[in-house]
Amino acid sequence: MPALKRALLLIVLCFYTAFAAGPFVWAAMMSLRTTTEIHRNHFAPPIPAHWDKFAEAWFNSNYSLYFANSTQIVVSAVVMLTIIGSMAAHCLARYRFRLNRIIYFVLFSTIIFPPQITIISLFQILVQYGLYNSKIGLTLVYVAIQLPLTIYILESFFARIPSDLFDAARIDGYSDWEIFWRVSLPIALPAVSTTVILNFILLWNEFLYAVVLITEEANRTLPLGIQRFIGDTQEDVGMIATGLMIAIIPVVVVYAFFSERLIQGMTAGAVK
Amino acid sequence: MRRKCLSTALAAALLTVTWSGFSSAQQVKELSFWSHWAAEMPKRTFVEQAIKEFEAKNPGIRLKQTWYEKTALYAGLKTALRAGQAPDIFYAEPDQVEYMENGFLLDLSDLNWGAVEPWAKEAWSYKGKPYGLPLEAWTVELYYNKKTMADLGVTIPESLQLPPEAFLDMIKKARAKGITPMALGVGDRPYPGAHVVHEALLKKLGVEDYDKLLKGKVAWSDPRVVDTLKWVRGLIEVGMLPNTFTTLKLAEAHIYFHTNPGALTFLNGSWYTSRAFNPPDKGGQPKDFPLGIMKFPAVPGAVCNECRSIAVGGSYVGNAETKHAKEVLAFLNSFLTFEMGNRWLDVVQVQTGIKSDPAKLTGPQAADYFKMIAQTNAGAKYYFGIPIQVLNGKPKEVFTQVMNNAFPAGTISVDDAIKQMAAAY
Amino acid sequence: MTTVQHAAEGAAHSTASIAPGGNGLHAASGGRRDAGHTRPWGTITAFLLPALIIYVAFTAYPAFRTIWNSFHKVLPRREEAVGLANYTELVGDEIFWRSVRNTITWACTSPLIEVSIALLLALALYARVPGARFFRVAWFTPVLMSYVVVGILWLWIYNFDWGPLNVALRALGLGGWTKAWLGDPHTALPSLIFVTSWMWVGFNMVVLLAALHSLPKEVIEAAELDNCGWGAKLVFVIFPLIRATLLNLIVLSFIGKMKIFDLVWITTKGNPLWATETVSTYVYKRAFEWTTFDLGYPSTIAAVWFVIVLSAVLILTWVFRLREKLEY
Repeated sequence: MPALKRALLLIVLCFYTAFAAGPFVWAAMMSLRTTTEIHRNHFAPPIPAHWDKFAEAWFNSNYSLYFANSTQIVVSAVVMLTIIGSMAAHCLARYRFRLNRIIYFVLFSTIIFPPQITIISLFQILVQYGLYNSKIGLTLVYVAIQLPLTIYILESFFARIPSDLFDAARIDGYSDWEIFWRVSLPIALPAVSTTVILNFILLWNEFLYAVVLITEEANRTLPLGIQRFIGDTQEDVGMIATGLMIAIIPVVVVYAFFSERLIQGMTAGAVK
Repeated sequence: MRRKCLSTALAAALLTVTWSGFSSAQQVKELSFWSHWAAEMPKRTFVEQAIKEFEAKNPGIRLKQTWYEKTALYAGLKTALRAGQAPDIFYAEPDQVEYMENGFLLDLSDLNWGAVEPWAKEAWSYKGKPYGLPLEAWTVELYYNKKTMADLGVTIPESLQLPPEAFLDMIKKARAKGITPMALGVGDRPYPGAHVVHEALLKKLGVEDYDKLLKGKVAWSDPRVVDTLKWVRGLIEVGMLPNTFTTLKLAEAHIYFHTNPGALTFLNGSWYTSRAFNPPDKGGQPKDFPLGIMKFPAVPGAVCNECRSIAVGGSYVGNAETKHAKEVLAFLNSFLTFEMGNRWLDVVQVQTGIKSDPAKLTGPQAADYFKMIAQTNAGAKYYFGIPIQVLNGKPKEVFTQVMNNAFPAGTISVDDAIKQMAAAY
Repeated sequence: MTTVQHAAEGAAHSTASIAPGGNGLHAASGGRRDAGHTRPWGTITAFLLPALIIYVAFTAYPAFRTIWNSFHKVLPRREEAVGLANYTELVGDEIFWRSVRNTITWACTSPLIEVSIALLLALALYARVPGARFFRVAWFTPVLMSYVVVGILWLWIYNFDWGPLNVALRALGLGGWTKAWLGDPHTALPSLIFVTSWMWVGFNMVVLLAALHSLPKEVIEAAELDNCGWGAKLVFVIFPLIRATLLNLIVLSFIGKMKIFDLVWITTKGNPLWATETVSTYVYKRAFEWTTFDLGYPSTIAAVWFVIVLSAVLILTWVFRLREKLEY
């Protein structure tokens, strides 16, 4: 490729990168400046950098509470999803029975469902069973909404494990549960970790179900917490930016460590 | 032997704990209380003081108070009421008929209604029974910056009401100097933009026909309505409103008017003081701000230029399913005294539905401010309620989108607006 | 034990080298296994039961209940059967049809924008530009953020007075082009579509890049040997090979936009004048913000929308599959 063309291409790509990452860099800069500084000049770099704003947001604005709630709910949901999802995926992939494909199809097709079809009745149901406004209720709903995708990704992976392995295990006298626990899971670890990361990120950012099913301050998750701040009296741009950074950091950390795995996971099934 | 001793000791301990727990539960009743006004210091002070006094007089009752912003409060209440998790006492406004229609509110007939203005009680009456304590009442006032007005060379007449040509002239003068004539924003509320429209319509049509218009008995295509909307349109076209009108939030509109960048006038409810009289670093107006109040300008061809809207605003209601009905009633009753009414005027400086007398106020700032309010309200003929309190269902939604947002923003024409409103009924 | 260990090592190697191929091997490896072996129903139930319980309790049952709700007036203390009254009301509800139009416009334009730009970017990276790895990682980041975060950021970017967009326009001397982007009914929806495109281009690009890299080298090399120009190579060789991925991405994006709620809720809530009202925001408003506690009507909206989405997806996949069949 001629050098000029390449240089031009690079410039275009750099512009695009600025466009894609720009907003976050701007928010990061604003998170370290006070609102008065920001209103004087919206685009100046954070000099001096007010690192104490993070502490203030954490301790004084309830971010620690939202963060803890989010962690509790999302981690529980992801653990449940991994166990329940892999069990179901293993079963659907390895055992042949008449209802197998029907069940798989039913589970898979719910990925298309728009949330509205369930959200109103979920609200009614949770109220009926006293699970409304509770972390347990939201956790169970989160498991339910991510189950189809989890099973879909794991099932296709489990199905690719050659059957000789299982035959060998049977010969060695393994029970069905042991086959699952000691053979399938360890081999499928890459796929499982992919679903773990995917579910974590999708549930960490989840908003619609949280906003309908949780209204008590003590049970708010992080997205709800942030939303509350933009509704308040004066737009404290500096503090909101700090809050945004707090919300983004776990995701960025997970992404930094697992970017390859994550990209593979999110694109699984989309590539044919 | 030892075991017996231990077990008796254990039993005794358990008994003491449960007994004391039981008796203390009997002693202190806790009422949960959700209210709006989280950011409005004067109102918070007033309510918190009322709570303190009530708790002092009634040692067996404690109130657990949570302060909210309005949108979050309404969202939380809607779901909490359905889920049976609503608080014992909460903030509501009279337009929330759905609470009464579904039997969520405690019947407040036994309160001391002699201390309340009859029209305020009427605002909360449903099927003949009152369900809310009308704490806040407000009128739509046209605040202005005296200094800027003087600099522009505009004199406000004795009657405090500018004739329509003078008002238009005032707008043009302000724009010529690069000052926004009227701060107003509908970024986060469904009513501010509509103030311009409904106050004008009320004056043009008079109380009865205005009421009929809102209730669908007078057509929106009525020539008087068309004329008024055309007049309003004329004001908008010369640039009366800020260009951030559609996204400017309520709190920001206050700041736009009195601090930055500063506007000539501000059309707001008389509860303007709740935010403006906060300390300046909490969103309040600067010290010594030259605040003036005038009446909404006269409307060409109006039948009743002295007509104005008065609305019952923030009120407190009881949860029909509360386990402490007696205590809730007692607490609400504690507000219904002449002294409380006057204290509200003094501390909060907004009108109230409780019978009170602004002439008896002692605090200097309040007295001055209420003198101004008394002047703008002198000889007024009232219509009770603003449109979103009177309308329901589809008309309310269309009114909010069209008359509060799109029409004042200038994005739809007079004919379009009328067509949409007519189609809504 | 040893048999398994050996087999496990072999399996690890073989699974690692198997290209992503979906269910191709499924029939071969999973099916034959149990021939002659009685179905271990106990185990099957044990494995499936937790998932099925959760599914039925929190997905299937609510879906049916919503449909049941749609035939009733659902108030806090009582329910009245109203037959088709809600549906009749829905037919005449202009706000609903406006929101359907908005959502479908969004779902149709977004995928086209996202996938086409993503394709160009993927091709650029595929052409071995330096720093490809960095670009890939950087462009993927918007996808990871919550719509809440993205919504707030873009509220600021679109701010009339100090948002970077208007500031940049003024700096370039294009002050006449500045607008209240989210406040004007004509520009509100396109502005939001722009935001979702900004978010998802990165995702689509990464997928397409993976697809490009998985193309068999021989075909590309053969095309180069035949002296195909870049343009011809693109249209006749690469396109057909990644067609399936492209279509997949379009369908995925379409479904995602049909469901959208968070972004609209944070930025405009459906205003101004219902320009950005989507079906999901309208359902939420009717259920939780109108002056009524009735949940029957919003359930009707949800039920009808469900049918529309399902039909749309079925039509899309049918159309694409048909075209695939015509190819071969």
